[in-house]
Amino acid sequence: MDYRKCASEILTEIGGKENLVSAAHCATRLRLVIADNAKASKERLEEIDGVRGVFEAAGQLQIIIGTGTVNKVYDEFIDLAGVAAASKDDVKQAAAAKQPMWKRAIKTVGDVFVPILPAIVASGLLMGIVEALGKIESLHFEGTAWYQFLDMMSATAFAFLPVIVAISAAKVFGANIYLGAVLGLMMVHPSLLNGWNVGSEDAIMSMFGTTSIPTWNLFGNIKVGGYVLGSISRHGYQGHVIPIVIAVWVLAKIEKWLHKKVPEMLDLFVVPITSIFLTSLVTFMAIGPVFSLLENYVLDGAKFLITNPFGAIVIGALYPVTVVMGLHHMYNGIESGMLAQAGGFNTWMPVATAANFAQAGSSLAVGIKSKNAKTKSVAIPAALSASLGITEPAIFGINLRYMKPFVCAMIGAAVGGGFAAFAGLKATAYGVTGFPGFLIITNIPLYALLLLISGGVAFILTLILWTEEKKDEPKKEPVKKEETKKVEEVVKAETDADTVYAPCNGEVIPLDQVPDETFASGALGNGCGIVPAEGVVKAPFNGTVTMVFDTGHAIGLMSDDGIELLIHVGINTVELGGNHYEKLVADGDKVAVGTPLLKFDMEAIKAAGYDITTPVIVTNTDDFKAVGAPEVGKKAAGSALYKVTR
Amino acid sequence: MIKFEYVITDAVGIHARPAGALAKKVKEYQSKVVIGKGDKSAEAQKLMAVMALGVKCGETITVTVEGEDEADAAPAIQAFFKENL
Repeated sequence: MDYRKCASEILTEIGGKENLVSAAHCATRLRLVIADNAKASKERLEEIDGVRGVFEAAGQLQIIIGTGTVNKVYDEFIDLAGVAAASKDDVKQAAAAKQPMWKRAIKTVGDVFVPILPAIVASGLLMGIVEALGKIESLHFEGTAWYQFLDMMSATAFAFLPVIVAISAAKVFGANIYLGAVLGLMMVHPSLLNGWNVGSEDAIMSMFGTTSIPTWNLFGNIKVGGYVLGSISRHGYQGHVIPIVIAVWVLAKIEKWLHKKVPEMLDLFVVPITSIFLTSLVTFMAIGPVFSLLENYVLDGAKFLITNPFGAIVIGALYPVTVVMGLHHMYNGIESGMLAQAGGFNTWMPVATAANFAQAGSSLAVGIKSKNAKTKSVAIPAALSASLGITEPAIFGINLRYMKPFVCAMIGAAVGGGFAAFAGLKATAYGVTGFPGFLIITNIPLYALLLLISGGVAFILTLILWTEEKKDEPKKEPVKKEETKKVEEVVKAETDADTVYAPCNGEVIPLDQVPDETFASGALGNGCGIVPAEGVVKAPFNGTVTMVFDTGHAIGLMSDDGIELLIHVGINTVELGGNHYEKLVADGDKVAVGTPLLKFDMEAIKAAGYDITTPVIVTNTDDFKAVGAPEVGKKAAGSALYKVTR
Repeated sequence: MIKFEYVITDAVGIHARPAGALAKKVKEYQSKVVIGKGDKSAEAQKLMAVMALGVKCGETITVTVEGEDEADAAPAIQAFFKENL
């Protein structure tokens, strides 16, 4: 395979390097964020030799190439496109900005719970082994010193789970990780009643000498109904993972806000104590009680569904659909919550296994039945990978493309899910399914039967129902293109003197991707480009209008704090001679963030053959130490664009 | 000090792109370069100030070059105007 040819064809079909925002790759896929999805032809991309499939998900254009080759194509690709190699995280972030709120929330849950997998898997595997050995009576293992020691060891991660989650969440939300750890530790502090014992009167009695958990009433006895204002129940949050995630999020917000407001020399004395104090109060008074209750409801709901054969059938059937939508990351949150509960087991994992193994079954059937060498070469490895728990190649590369195998896999998953619930299968960790799942499951023979049922049903159904057409069926789009929802305008109450805010809703791109050499080279100063999504330019800071061009296609501004800025709407648009532009301010006018400055007719400008990419440039770049890199991706007018360093 | 006049022939006058290119050109030299139109003037290095002059096609500007390397700078800048504006 010619990697360079493949890369150059991909680049052409996505609309050239001008249309590329960023690129990264994972084990099998090239993950691209492109400015205008309409310019990319999915059909033609799929024709390229070396490309096994194309789909849009999570704001990215994902091109399946395959293990071992994707990195080589990627190297050629970034060389050709002249973009810097982006880490997967960069691309994910750029893509995340394109997503609606609820999707970002689910992604965040994944971001928090996926990195802690090593701790969970290690503890879970150990726990599974210790328990299995303990059950074999002839070994007399239970109760031995080794047993007790290993039991303690394997339980540690779960006993202090809020601490591990806190550290991960602090990294995700940008809080100081040590402060995050303090918050997590506080929630399992030994002077609080162990959260697992909240329901046990004996435990409460031995700790406090009464039968109900006492409270700290911090604000005296002011009552609202039966609720004492500001009262804190003296129990910990072992067994809960969601309250700590919310608490760390609050911590990050407070901490970041304080960092901005507090002078640097006082920062260390003021910021940590203030953020910990405020967050702890809010956590124990409100976040803890409210979210642990909510978490219980969600877990109880999930458990009810999953342990009841009918519910498990439904979840099993829908599971692959949620994988396609990228929602499956939130299941890690549910699974870790189940494990964190007293004596908790993961009853979700067997159903997930049924769903994943069914994908393997369907894909294998396609691989066996297909006459097409290319299809075979994708389907069989994809089936293998799915049987080990990685289903994306099978789902996107094969099953969804032909649709029928996907439906068969859904049926296999439903049958398997029902069986898992009926048999009461449960696991001691999360994060692995399929064959590796044997290591964390409590009943090995029944688990083997589960794999056989879910995979077998999908395999046989696909073998019977799916027939290969001579020409590929019209490929179904796995994910509907996300509507470019108008991002809500952010009303800025306060502004930062060193920040330039977005002058309009649109897609922010790095300056060097502005399709005009003069701007892209930085000759006029540093900054970024924005591809407007609306025809109005608003003030990017508080300041004065230096000059509005007669033609209304560009405007110069000076901020109250000395940033000179040029906003140039469109490329070469001076040639329009003022048509399609309307000036809303005059030279010398005072403006505040959000004051409308110019109006322009996007469609008419595009129709006249001009690119509407709008460079936003600090023309006195030399007066600053640096002009920061922009946050790329979809931005609402008035959200921070970049910062200058003085 | 070297001073010369120039009549803008570019149809749209001194707009962002040539103004930027001019600023870049001027930075190659140590001399101070001032562009005047009527009673207004601007340092050529200051992009925004130059654009604020609002020089249009057919208008005459005066260019003043002053500094140690003015003998080199002035012809180069004059050539720049002829080429770009």
